[in-house]
Amino acid sequence: MSFLNVEKRIEKVKKDFHQSDDFASRVLVKQNAKIGFMFFKSITDGELFAETIYKPLSSATGEITLESLQNKVLKSSDIKEIKEDEIVENIISGSIIILIEGEEKVIAVDLLKYLTRTPTEPPTSPVIMGPREGFTEDINTNISLMRRRIASKDLVMKQVKIGSYSNTRVMITYVHGIVDQKIVEKVTQRLKEIKIDGILDAYYLVGFLQEDENSMFRQVGMAEKPDIVSSKLLEGKVGILVDNSPIVLTVPFIIFEDLQNSNDYYSNHHYSSFIRAVRLIGIIMAILASGVYLALQIYHYNIVPLNFLITIADTTQGLPFTPYIEILFIFLLFQILYEVSLRLPTYLGLATSVVGALILGDTGVKAGLISPPGVIIVAVSKIALYLVPQQSSQVCLLQLVFLFLGGSLGMLGIIGGMIYFTNYLNKIDSYGVPYLAPYSPRIKNDLQDGIFKENIGDMRKRPESFNNKNKVRLK
Amino acid sequence: MKDTTISARQAGMLCTITILANKIFLLPALIYDGVKSDGFFVMMFLFALELCVLGIFILLKKKFPNNTLNFILEKYLGKVIARIIYFFFMMFFLFKMMLTYSVCYVYLKQQVYQDEFALLALICIIPVVNHAVISGLRVFSRTIELYFYVIMTGVLICLAVGLGNWQGMPILFNSTPSEFFLTSFKHIFSFGDYLFLFLIIDKIHLEKGQVKHLVKYVALGIIMVLTLFIAFYSIYQITAFMHNNALSDIISVSLQFNAIGRLDVLAMLTIMFLCYFEMEIFQFSFSEAFCNVFHKLNRKYSIVVFDVIFLVVYFILVGRYENMILYTEGWLPYFSIFTNFLIPIIILFISLPKRKGVRYEKTF
Repeated sequence: MSFLNVEKRIEKVKKDFHQSDDFASRVLVKQNAKIGFMFFKSITDGELFAETIYKPLSSATGEITLESLQNKVLKSSDIKEIKEDEIVENIISGSIIILIEGEEKVIAVDLLKYLTRTPTEPPTSPVIMGPREGFTEDINTNISLMRRRIASKDLVMKQVKIGSYSNTRVMITYVHGIVDQKIVEKVTQRLKEIKIDGILDAYYLVGFLQEDENSMFRQVGMAEKPDIVSSKLLEGKVGILVDNSPIVLTVPFIIFEDLQNSNDYYSNHHYSSFIRAVRLIGIIMAILASGVYLALQIYHYNIVPLNFLITIADTTQGLPFTPYIEILFIFLLFQILYEVSLRLPTYLGLATSVVGALILGDTGVKAGLISPPGVIIVAVSKIALYLVPQQSSQVCLLQLVFLFLGGSLGMLGIIGGMIYFTNYLNKIDSYGVPYLAPYSPRIKNDLQDGIFKENIGDMRKRPESFNNKNKVRLK
Repeated sequence: MKDTTISARQAGMLCTITILANKIFLLPALIYDGVKSDGFFVMMFLFALELCVLGIFILLKKKFPNNTLNFILEKYLGKVIARIIYFFFMMFFLFKMMLTYSVCYVYLKQQVYQDEFALLALICIIPVVNHAVISGLRVFSRTIELYFYVIMTGVLICLAVGLGNWQGMPILFNSTPSEFFLTSFKHIFSFGDYLFLFLIIDKIHLEKGQVKHLVKYVALGIIMVLTLFIAFYSIYQITAFMHNNALSDIISVSLQFNAIGRLDVLAMLTIMFLCYFEMEIFQFSFSEAFCNVFHKLNRKYSIVVFDVIFLVVYFILVGRYENMILYTEGWLPYFSIFTNFLIPIIILFISLPKRKGVRYEKTF
């Protein structure tokens, strides 16, 4: 039968890969058996190939069949029998395909060359005390990090492949018995429905997993550390690991999660409560400070303490711009400097910061273009933005909205904006969980891990917001 | 179908907001004009009457836990009368919204913005209120729940500072019974705090034993208003009728406190929050009544109609906020006697006698 001819089968696969140059094939004859190998040179481990396949095959005696190779000769533990139409997929995944003339059977040996970095502390979630391991770009490493933390038969990993070209491995993970299966089904269905050419990072999936995909507020959690994801899985959430991405997504997501930090769980709960309160105040300040300053200066100057009012009047006297234009100008200046410092190499970025912050700011004030209180207010609001780095892009946009509201409509506009955005956030429902839980609506049990965090020994129940199936955390 | 119910706690908070909003700005001065410091007793009397309406609501909710008001009215009074009653509710909440807007407008114009800002106020308020109504009862109830303690803290600080400025017990029992009842009648339109509960009767999740949550928040609102009245009359005594913004005025006597600036900023922020939330509740109630009068039109139509009617009636017919205040003491009390008390009593009498022997909850 022609389809059992090794050369012809190799040729067919080669055609499937459009004669790609990194595709390699070899044909060996050993004890009258013609053996064919197919693989990608770029992603398979040559040394491992020599150790586990070539050397054992050279020293093999007796009749060579695929069955004998699979069971006796080859030393690799990752050998599997596959179908003819799975050859291409397995080669892409880093396997070596082995064929023998006259045999219909095909075997694949996984020899994927791991070009991965070791788990290091991610720059976005540093801790003073606590585990420092972070996820890497390799999904297998990430799975092992998860399995080490939740060493239970109930930790489930379900694979989905997304991307017609990228064939990205996406792993849905959850703890069976805690998670609400409806959420797992919903996530699986949404991922399976994605028909896209490629998934290059976990962030590609965010839009597909969000309930309201056009919302400016993110409705999917993101974490770069296995301890954070493990704690979320134990609360009844679903994790989504994506190959080639060090970020793991979690759903359902509530906005309060961004105020939490892994440091909070590795330090005294009184101090954690204080720090969370500071974060909340900081983020409110970041959003409202510029707008409130404008509202006070333009509409409500009579409620400003007299000494402060005199300072403002002294420093703003003679400025060529209205307060509105002045604050907007400083705001844009900060944003431009921030973008520049992000994109320049570190040493140049530092120089830009010095030139921007010190020289431009100082000279601007001395030249009488901007006022010192204006610089301070915008600087404080811009620095406070990074108390919650995950929400910095949304908060930056909100700053601009409230700046406009404060400058145009005063405090009535700012309060109107607050109410509007709170209504908007209250409309968002992340997989059946209210986005502003546990404060709106108030869920008493979940306040234990709210702004005022309780001692771990007192947190006896899992959060009720997430509709988990096993309520008891501590007996 | 998406769950749209609110909890008893949230319903209670809505009640506190409606109790506070209309009564803590202009009303103390207006009532003082009629009965002097006995305004405190006028408020007690009107609150007692209002509590009877709350009692009617609770009885009705117990009997018809899952039914809409429309269902109850149509079953006992027929479709035509049901629509007429809803039409009255519609008008009631339209005028209530106008009153709230007028009172807030007076305050903001006199104390905050200091010049003509009617258009500015509308630009601020109407879109936010419309968005809340479109988002639905559940959404804006949650928002109110989130800001509730902020508002309560603001009111409590104002009351505490006001009580700290205590100038002596106001002179009580200084009015005749006719003055007392006439003043009570004249200001009855500022009440009707629980009528919106009838319109959302099917949307409140009120389980057995949860009535206490509702009553707790109602009591909180009443106590705060009464405290404000007594503090206000104590501070301003015989000049109380001149002070139009009670909550702000009881705190503005303490202009500097540890050099942190004018304390009435607290009252200003509290009033702004209350103004928005009160209007959200009233416009939503209007919208509910509208959808029951015009069954084929949905909530979006009700919002457009409301905005148009509000602008036309307020700016063309009422003309100035002073006229609105005059209406509340003129013909609106007659109207509100009908809506605030007669309609709830009629609903009670037509529905309750059949209670014995038949379990309506199961048959409906």
